[in-house]
Amino acid sequence: MSGRGALAGLRVLDLTDLKGHLCARLLADMGADVIKIEPPAGDSARRIGPFVDDRPHRDRSLFFWFYNLNKRSLTLDLGHPEGAAILRRLAEGADVIVESFKPGAMARMGLGWDVLHALNPALVLCSIAPFGQKGPYRGYEADDSVLTALSGMLYVNGFPDGAPVRPLGLQAYHSASYYAAIGTMCVLFARDSMGEGQWIDLSMQEATASAVEHVAAGFLGTGEIERRRGTLHWSRFFRVGRCRDGYVMHCTLCDWTSLIEWVNGDGKAQDLTAPEWEDVAKRRAGAEHLFDVLDEWVKDYARDELLERAQLLRLPYASVRNPEDLFDDEQLSSRGYFQEVEHPELGRTFRYPGAPYLFNGSPWRVTRRPPLLGEHTGEILGAELGMSAEELAALAAEGVI
Amino acid sequence: MARMALEGVRILDFTWVVAGPVATRILADQGAEVIKIERGDENTMSVLGPRRTGLQGELHRNKRSAAINMNHPRGVELARRLAALSDLVMDNFSARVMRGWGMDYQSLVKIKPDVICISMSGLGHTGPRCNYVSYGPTLHALAGFTHLMADARGEPAGYGYSYADMAGGYSGALAALIALWHRKRTGRGQFVDLSQFEALVSLAGPALLDISVNGRTQAPPQWRSQEAPAAPHGAYRCAPRGGDDDRWIVIAVRSQAEWERFARASGNPGWTAEPKFRTLYLRMRNREELDAQVVRWAASQQAEAAMALLRRAGVAAGVVLNGADLCVGDPHLAKRGFFAPVKLPGGGSTRLTGVPMRLSATPGSIRTAAPEVGEDNDYILGELLGLGRAERAELVTEGAVWG
Repeated sequence: MSGRGALAGLRVLDLTDLKGHLCARLLADMGADVIKIEPPAGDSARRIGPFVDDRPHRDRSLFFWFYNLNKRSLTLDLGHPEGAAILRRLAEGADVIVESFKPGAMARMGLGWDVLHALNPALVLCSIAPFGQKGPYRGYEADDSVLTALSGMLYVNGFPDGAPVRPLGLQAYHSASYYAAIGTMCVLFARDSMGEGQWIDLSMQEATASAVEHVAAGFLGTGEIERRRGTLHWSRFFRVGRCRDGYVMHCTLCDWTSLIEWVNGDGKAQDLTAPEWEDVAKRRAGAEHLFDVLDEWVKDYARDELLERAQLLRLPYASVRNPEDLFDDEQLSSRGYFQEVEHPELGRTFRYPGAPYLFNGSPWRVTRRPPLLGEHTGEILGAELGMSAEELAALAAEGVI
Repeated sequence: MARMALEGVRILDFTWVVAGPVATRILADQGAEVIKIERGDENTMSVLGPRRTGLQGELHRNKRSAAINMNHPRGVELARRLAALSDLVMDNFSARVMRGWGMDYQSLVKIKPDVICISMSGLGHTGPRCNYVSYGPTLHALAGFTHLMADARGEPAGYGYSYADMAGGYSGALAALIALWHRKRTGRGQFVDLSQFEALVSLAGPALLDISVNGRTQAPPQWRSQEAPAAPHGAYRCAPRGGDDDRWIVIAVRSQAEWERFARASGNPGWTAEPKFRTLYLRMRNREELDAQVVRWAASQQAEAAMALLRRAGVAAGVVLNGADLCVGDPHLAKRGFFAPVKLPGGGSTRLTGVPMRLSATPGSIRTAAPEVGEDNDYILGELLGLGRAERAELVTEGAVWG
């Protein structure tokens, strides 16, 4: 059992587009059998780059690959009555459906919560939408960038005299997907005692607003409006400084005595040796001046040298590294972070980022490379649902699969 | 009170700062009983603000707190007895701390064979850098996130916040639930070694694949597409509101139909006839020229009015909300009751960020305000461990508990 992953035996139907891809991926990584249900023309993420060797093709999108590792692919036109009927048959044997259609669209396809719940009372339906299933804005369009604006995240990112800078890495989609996976596991856990599944209303705006620790909390706590401060963290204990060969992240939430002895030993402490700076509140209030002095101190250091010396003193400094550096990172490699994944149809093996956590009893694992479009349609509808070759051919002819 | 999804789950919570408390907060919101073990002599996190309101109020709501001295042998004994009564033990120290107290998985499994330990250290429990000290912003730096967060001048420009703490917190909460599910099915507990660094790195997935597959050096994306390509796409400055000129709207125009609706709704139907803007490809190639036009249009608009106009036309658009806009100015969030009041002991109430997922039968909720350190000593030592009043007083005198 443990060799199969913690979620072995759970079946998840993944009806999401890129807004929710990560949710079912997180469950697939832990052993759930995730069937990605794509329109016959393919999920829209298959058209998003980058592509392998920069050759655009639906089976070469690295964007799609990352979010759909460990899933199987079934093509199905849910807008077609027969496609919806097949989905309902699949729902009878599933534990979870995750979807990110516009609110109301599932019901119009005959796949609303009432229908699904009646068919399979144990089923969990997780609905991910920009503004949730209820409320005046529920029907509006939004992508990741719009959601970072409407959550308070974007307002605090960038320099005060410049435009808000878009955060890296689809933080709205990722926050929503994590909350969706967490909500799904909560319902599965409760299902054992309650006997029934539930419908989860996941608002991406709310998930993203929850992912910024100080904007709403700052306003609700003190009435203050937090603003952009460049690289100065809202807590005022962190700021980027320039070294001889790059940048470092300063940290003044630390053993101040050790830090200032070192700086002073280099003859660069200026007024920071005054006892008042031992007070954390003073370091917070005087952050701008403090970091200006520390910037002068670090400018002749090499960034990695500074990092190593700081960590020996247990000072939480860090070098600002390029993402390319991660592939040579000894910490990651010693923990086996990167995963080699074979793509037999391309005759190549690619290196994927790995697990966010290491379970010692039920491992995170790569069990299959991301699926080709419709790769498992025959296997799922034929072998598992018992449809005949003639039925499948008829569905294909009608464009349902 | 409505039933809670995680009713009956007890978590012994050694986490502090932000990432760990985010994880246990998520579980507490769904009904898990979270027991914080904290120092009562100095509250180093008071720099994050008062305990019951604002950020700390959000991090510690729905939890209980015991002030137990883990540097005292009888304090450790109390914690071990609490661990034996708990389903999960969670921490976000570097690897050596829990081991030093005898509270690591190897020690606890001897007194509770099906215990689940989730350790959310900065860089993991193994490897040459497992003892590195880190915070969210320093993990951004190590993970390449800071480097990729540059403005148009190429200068590092963000983040004012710490997404690393959220990546760590979310993956910690999910790991806890997956381990609980596994234990329910198999009867077995386990140890989860969660590196917050790795949890963050995992979220740069497509960029990392572009490096490993195509060998491409990653440049800060700024407003270049990170997903479906769009143009216009950016944050455009709007007309001042009162004396506030920090008003912006984000617009993302992806499809041809959206482009046509955008041009019409913004009162610029002529844009669609412009050969340079005819297709998405051309709009992206001539993006600077296009942006200059949109900048001029946006500058004449109030941000909220422009958003309403574009939304009705089916174009993705959002005002860059500040804290006040978000908490009091957004009618949709207000209608959903997202920011929710909680009563404060001693009178009054405060509002906190709510629960971003609504489970139809067990919705999750904010039930109690954050406890002060040690506020629940009587419940935890008296009711849970069955210690009498005299014994509790003795523990305080000895310095094992702060009373």
